[in-house]
Amino acid sequence: MRLGGAQLLDSREILPGQWLQAYLAPDLVAGARAGQFVHVRTGDYSGLVLRRPFSYNTIDPLAGTLTIHFRTVGRGTAWFTQLRPGDRIDMLGPLGRPFEVDPRSRHLLLVAGGLGIAGVRALADEAIRDGRQVTLLFGAATAREVYPSSLLPDEVEYVVATDDGSVGHHGFVTDLVPEYEAWADQAFACGPLPMLRTLSNLAATRRQRLGVASLGRKRGAGRPLAPGSPQARKKAFLQVSMEQNMGCAVGACLGCVVMTTSGTPQRVCREGPVFAAEEIAWEGGW
Amino acid sequence: MKARRRVVTGSAASVKRRPTVRKIKPAIAPVARRASSSASAGSAATARSAASAAARPEPSLPAAPIDLAVDLGRGLVLGNPILVASGTFGYGIEYGDVVDVQRLGAICCKGTTLRPRIGNPTPRVTETPGGMLNSIGLQNPGVDAVVEKYASTWAGWQVPVIVNVAGESIGDYVEVVRRLDGVPGVAGIELNISCPNVGAGGIQFAIDANAAGAVTAAVRRATDLPLLVKLSPNVADVRPIARAIADGGADALTAVNTLSGIAVAPSRARPLLGNVYGGLSGPAIKPVALRIVYEVTQVVDIPVIAIGGVAELADVLDYLAVGAVAAQVGTAIFADPGLPVRLIGELADECRGRGLDSYRPLIGTALPKRAAPPSARGVEYRP
Ligand SMILES: Cc1cc2nc3c(=O)[nH]c(=O)nc-3n(C[C@H](O)[C@H](O)[C@H](O)COP(=O)(O)O)c2cc1C
Ligand code: FES
Repeated sequence: MRLGGAQLLDSREILPGQWLQAYLAPDLVAGARAGQFVHVRTGDYSGLVLRRPFSYNTIDPLAGTLTIHFRTVGRGTAWFTQLRPGDRIDMLGPLGRPFEVDPRSRHLLLVAGGLGIAGVRALADEAIRDGRQVTLLFGAATAREVYPSSLLPDEVEYVVATDDGSVGHHGFVTDLVPEYEAWADQAFACGPLPMLRTLSNLAATRRQRLGVASLGRKRGAGRPLAPGSPQARKKAFLQVSMEQNMGCAVGACLGCVVMTTSGTPQRVCREGPVFAAEEIAWEGGW
Repeated sequence: MKARRRVVTGSAASVKRRPTVRKIKPAIAPVARRASSSASAGSAATARSAASAAARPEPSLPAAPIDLAVDLGRGLVLGNPILVASGTFGYGIEYGDVVDVQRLGAICCKGTTLRPRIGNPTPRVTETPGGMLNSIGLQNPGVDAVVEKYASTWAGWQVPVIVNVAGESIGDYVEVVRRLDGVPGVAGIELNISCPNVGAGGIQFAIDANAAGAVTAAVRRATDLPLLVKLSPNVADVRPIARAIADGGADALTAVNTLSGIAVAPSRARPLLGNVYGGLSGPAIKPVALRIVYEVTQVVDIPVIAIGGVAELADVLDYLAVGAVAAQVGTAIFADPGLPVRLIGELADECRGRGLDSYRPLIGTALPKRAAPPSARGVEYRP
């Protein structure tokens, strides 16, 4: 974790109300991995007292650049859209724990709902660099909100669903999953809670439905792994990137927790944001 | 000509006792720690150089050392008057990569209870204009786990760690404090009394002078650790409560905790926070906290540590002017983790700029004139 300056290189509205910004931030890029995030300070402390967390949308270690992708939802995000190339801002990162891909996984299924694309986008790059095959299932309300395929690596198979059927599958992105379940070695998802919950249910019944052995687990080795541990995630078929309002983003304030099946809330900023789907208590539990 | 007003209530000799010692831990003297912190110098010299280093932004500048030490009584002497507020700095380790925690005046750790608590449902935090609401619900692993996990780390630190304690009954508070008493690494106690007293119909200790005085007195009997008690701003008149706490034997007051508030979910279908109610903090609460510190410092003789919206040196100076001896930084850390340590240097520079060799003349300058200025140090220990 480092505090570093970031210089805005490029800022554009790629979809109505959705922005893609590239920053030169070598300190924040070094060692960063897909699934992690930066906590970014706004310039107006008198009004906006909290930093804003953004996933590493893409990471370019050679150029020392990163991109973030966000929707303007309030004064904070609006502030970022006012920045001009050359402006410098203050970022804290890399924060949180990344996605963990089992070295034996050949086929990765990425599932994103809306802005959730920002949470898994960098994993597509990482996986392709490592020689894996990637299918990205993307869901949005309408065609107007579909992430441009031109912003994805050519190697990614990109499948779209829209709620209104204006492009791609007419329905939820989760409808598309069963078609890929047998192909995928592991799945990684980010998006609205109902989407993640549905995926988690699918993942939980997958082995029975498909008759496959779980990845990497020796017979009888059923010892539960510590919540939030990289091992727990590496072994999981489905890893989810969780969202929560944040204060500190370093594990100090306990503002950002999710309830886990262990009965102890875990910090999204520290143990997460990536969790194994089976670690999350989807119905809450407080 | 500069006025060198010493703000003291005791004899000059007792005040000057070890003026530059950064910290004296009560009960168990961490001899090994001292020895490891400097192989060459004696313990007093080590402490002195640490204190002056904290007061000087640039060691190469031939700047005069400024006395920033804060004596809170019972041997708890802070190297400088900038603390970090409970709940915003975890257990002191979380910000370790980006903050030089050893330079802080003290760390108030997350609220600690007798038994583990899972806290409130989410969302737990949300931003508000100039502030934020939080409803963490005192999530913590319980006092035994806190001691086991963190105390040995704290014992190796120069910076005093003050454990913030919460409870649902006087018995809870007393039991937590008993388990902290004598633990190396625990430099003091800060009682968070903004908790419902389950035995008394759920009325918060902090809003009732009798309950606040009673819990203070009970804890006082249970420990010789320096005892700070944290006032709630959610009361009509804080003065009788502050007096009752001082009479109960507190060594210092901290003021204030968060202001009660709510936010509404964007759907407008329900309140936003999982627990409905949250505590407001940040710059938005500073005028309220300032008013409370102003009122409290005029009615008690124990030191008062200000909390609420500190975001720059001017805020610290304002709090000193209304009689606080020190200030805690909370919410501002989230945006600017380096702020507390920076404030220490800025305060020393401010003193230097005014030709002062101590920050104490800055204390109480905005208070109505009265015979004796408010105390800058703790009451003497009377067994
Ligand atoms: C996220 C958060 C958690 C807090 N937790 C505690 C706590 O456990 N115990 C306590 O006494 N105060 C707690 N506080 C209150 C702060 O210590 C402080 O009194 C308050 O935030 C006002 O200071 P500020 O405006 O500088 O933040 C908490 C505040 C925040 C923002
Ligand atoms: S945001 Fe503070 S603990 Fe996660």
